[in-house]
Amino acid sequence: MGHLKDAQEEMELDMTPMIDVVFLLIIFFICIDFKVLEAKLPAYLPKDVGTATVQAEPQEKLRIQIVCDNPGTPVPRYPNAPAGDERARAIRLEGHRIRWTVGPKEFNSVEKLLAELKRVRALPSTMQKDPKTGAPKVMTVVIEPGPDTVYGDVAVTVDAVQAADFSEINFGGGLKGKNQGGALRRP
Amino acid sequence: MGALDKAQENIKMDMTPMIDCVFLLMIFFVLVIDLSQTELEDLILPKAQYAVPDDKPPENRPVVNVMQDGLVKFKRNVYHDPGKDGLENYQRVKTDLLPKLKAMSKDITPENLGGRTIQVINDPILIRADKWTDWYHVGKFMENCITPEAAFWKIELAMSEKDKEEVLLKAARR
Repeated sequence: MGHLKDAQEEMELDMTPMIDVVFLLIIFFICIDFKVLEAKLPAYLPKDVGTATVQAEPQEKLRIQIVCDNPGTPVPRYPNAPAGDERARAIRLEGHRIRWTVGPKEFNSVEKLLAELKRVRALPSTMQKDPKTGAPKVMTVVIEPGPDTVYGDVAVTVDAVQAADFSEINFGGGLKGKNQGGALRRP
Repeated sequence: MGALDKAQENIKMDMTPMIDCVFLLMIFFVLVIDLSQTELEDLILPKAQYAVPDDKPPENRPVVNVMQDGLVKFKRNVYHDPGKDGLENYQRVKTDLLPKLKAMSKDITPENLGGRTIQVINDPILIRADKWTDWYHVGKFMENCITPEAAFWKIELAMSEKDKEEVLLKAARR
């Protein structure tokens, strides 16, 4: 019996380090956020395809034009990336500058644009009748990105429009850029 | 010395179960991370100033990535390459991508618009594009999201809480 007891004592396993490690891992994975926190900006595209035969009632819309004053100079985003790497092709546009036109007014910062949009939103004329239901609704905003504008310019504009409490956003203005969408701009 | 040797033998620990556990956990989390990121391409989104974080994204919302060079990617597959397909030719988006996105949608209503029956899809598509992607590429993709068979009219533009490019530039300056 004495020998058996000795053997049992030797076989006993110390679980403490294992439990420590497991708990540390659990805490680590609970604390880090796997989700990439991103924001979303909803917008709407015209549903009608082709020519409509029904006469549509004209609706007043708020037009915001994005004008690119300086397309910017392409600079490698990852200057130390090896030549074959996909990252080596990524660029940023240094000196890229835009302005916004709302009616006759021009704005060169998103804060000023937001202030103007909030002012317009507070006007009684911004509320319109829904042509289908007759219920009051907020005027539609049409964003018209000009040549050489980039996704960041439009997203920032949509962000401001949403912050000013306009809910229906459309896009317009055509897509012909002087450099065909910058496809020739790649370094 | 004999007693000391015995004591040292007694405190020997079997590391096998701990290593097993650690490896299993590592494999599990590596798989989970990989599965959740397959839709997201490595690009830098513009920074949101006012938009609130998208904490609870709807299930099965398609995420389409538009890269700086105009590539349209969905779940790591390329559906438009301006270099190969041409700037204006989005045929592969219409024939290959839109049916896949339509299959993921639940809210589809046929509507009579302009004398034609259009399959209007009321579920949104999230567009993720790099902050320096020319709007031309994003706009062209959006134009081609509307076909009589699948008319996606709700679009969501992705933004980021942090400006990752600023972080890169700061790191480069240091």
